[in-house]
Amino acid sequence: MRRPTGVRAAPSRRRILAVGGALGLLAGGGLGLSGALANRPALTGGMLRSAAPLPEPYTVPLPIPKVLTPAATGKGADRYEITQRETTAEILPGTRTGLWTYNGTFPGPTIESRRRRTVRVRHRNELPVPTAVHLHGGRTPADSDGYPTDLILPDGRPDAEHHHGGGHGAGSHQMADPRAVTSRVTRDYTFPNDQRAAMLWYHDHRMDFTAPAIWRGLAGLHIIRDDVEDALDLPRGEYELPLLICDRSFDANGSLRYPALDPSLRERPGVQGPYAAGVLGDVILVNGAPWPVHEADAARYRLRLLNGSNARHYDLEAVTDDGSRLDLVQIGSDQGLLAAPVTHTRVPMAPAERYDVVVDFRGLKPGSRVRLRNRLGSGRTREVMAFRIARKARGGERNGGRVPDRLADDLPGWHRSQATAVREFAFRAGHMQHGRGWLIGGRAFDPGRTDVSTRLGSVEVWRLVADVHHPIHLHLVGFRVLSRGGGPPLPQDAGLKDTVSLRPGESAEIITRFDGYRGRYLFHCHNAEHEDMGMMANLEIA
Amino acid sequence: MTSTDEAPSATAGREAPRSGVTGGMFRAAVTLHTVVVFGQPVFAGVYLSGDIGGLDLHVLGANAASFLGLAQAIVGVTYSVRQRVWWPALTSLLLVAAESVQYVVGMDGALWLHLPLGVSLIAGLAVLFTVAWTRPLRGRGRGGSDA
Repeated sequence: MRRPTGVRAAPSRRRILAVGGALGLLAGGGLGLSGALANRPALTGGMLRSAAPLPEPYTVPLPIPKVLTPAATGKGADRYEITQRETTAEILPGTRTGLWTYNGTFPGPTIESRRRRTVRVRHRNELPVPTAVHLHGGRTPADSDGYPTDLILPDGRPDAEHHHGGGHGAGSHQMADPRAVTSRVTRDYTFPNDQRAAMLWYHDHRMDFTAPAIWRGLAGLHIIRDDVEDALDLPRGEYELPLLICDRSFDANGSLRYPALDPSLRERPGVQGPYAAGVLGDVILVNGAPWPVHEADAARYRLRLLNGSNARHYDLEAVTDDGSRLDLVQIGSDQGLLAAPVTHTRVPMAPAERYDVVVDFRGLKPGSRVRLRNRLGSGRTREVMAFRIARKARGGERNGGRVPDRLADDLPGWHRSQATAVREFAFRAGHMQHGRGWLIGGRAFDPGRTDVSTRLGSVEVWRLVADVHHPIHLHLVGFRVLSRGGGPPLPQDAGLKDTVSLRPGESAEIITRFDGYRGRYLFHCHNAEHEDMGMMANLEIA
Repeated sequence: MTSTDEAPSATAGREAPRSGVTGGMFRAAVTLHTVVVFGQPVFAGVYLSGDIGGLDLHVLGANAASFLGLAQAIVGVTYSVRQRVWWPALTSLLLVAAESVQYVVGMDGALWLHLPLGVSLIAGLAVLFTVAWTRPLRGRGRGGSDA
């Protein structure tokens, strides 16, 4: 309008600046909005806040799960009995929390076993729901692997699980699984333990309801030991601490809070919308105690770390009260010892991952404190547990000792050129039959469909790509991480793994050999909520 | 885009008041559409930071963008027919086509197409926004008031 007449219409300088400014504002506003809405750092899951008053960190002593005594010891095999039952326990001081447990404790009792010595466990289900027990990391025959429809049905509810079209108790998925082998009240699981020394864990794996069952307490440790490990100078006895780290939330009355769509955990699977990416608790438990403290010697400790959380990732560091960080010397991963130790100052842990680390308190004065902190947490979830140095080292630990430079030479050395198949899997959110879920290669879990079939003994390379955090777990086998995001693996990817942590937008290549046993196995995301909402697939080994 | 827009005559506003309104509506539609589409990568990023609610916002944004794209096309076609200037109709219809593909491949999870197409859509809308606010929105030979 203020242009001179008689020449070709050109926008005024002011107009051009205004348009440019508007686009700039739009872009800047987008950045601001993104900064306000996004999880920074990335955090997959929805935070569920406790209503209960929470204890001060580092006031409750660290419990150590009891080692289970065999019911019978025979030639080449030990037999154990575990009863799955409801109980209450004092988790938050002064209140009782209802739990589903293995043998009345959370975590369940630890099974200590030797390589190649068979463990048979008779599980008795006295819970109000069906269960399935999976030994995570176990090289287990298919019929003892705790397939999600191979259920132990509870007593006293004749065929209740058939009323909802779930075939063999498969919840509301309307999926009959003709191959399911169910039993009533008890089931015997056989674990040959024909594998490297490692810390495994057993937990519930029922179709559609794994996440809430673990949340309620169905998890315990299973440690395999062997001569390779025994020969090394590693801290042992009271200097070896298994630490099952997980997060939970509590109602005002002390009961566990969980956003299940069906609180009876029988019919409708899944969690409320805000938690569909995973349930994050605001209380960090170690071996079932909130932010515990352990009275330690000024000695070396072997910490056998397990992230038993449904969805929470940790980035652990050991910090003294004067602010210095102690080295965490990693000696093992999911499937046992590394070839050589790897020194970290931080250990990132995805759900179901294990790290075997040695930390050295020998330079610390009695009275000082070391906190295990989580760099991915915020507020109270930054704290995990503490060690209070109570006294000087005793016994053998007093006389030095160091982590050997060479740990194990029995790690498999698979090479790409051996691979008979290269497969690709995308782990992403997507549409399922009943709304949004989590898919592998665009498909939700169906027990009746074989997703991968391979031959016993074949070596394969799998390329995995994720949208958000997905810790990918393969049953039966250990694998090695070949690459991450097209580059070399990270330092924490060393050794033999059974769960690889994919971060948002990340890809990884793994290599493994499918050996051990034939049958139907699984691979899945070990974000337990994702697993229940479709992110699982069948692996048939023929 | 290279049409021979002449300088406005002093009487332009009185000659074509209706097209002035349509031109203004076209600018408004392009502006709203651009604002909503700029939100889409934000919501996608929120989702990729682990907040599944971002995906709900992304779907909401896709619905809003589709609606606004259609509205813009209707206004654009009306303007083009009246003023016999074809770029508003052509660009708007092209955007509707691209956004339809974008919606379907997004729901399908075909990210190889969804991501580059999304970037192109944003670039295209930024250019259209610039053109709509800097070019005279009047018919050929009838003046170029900024409506």
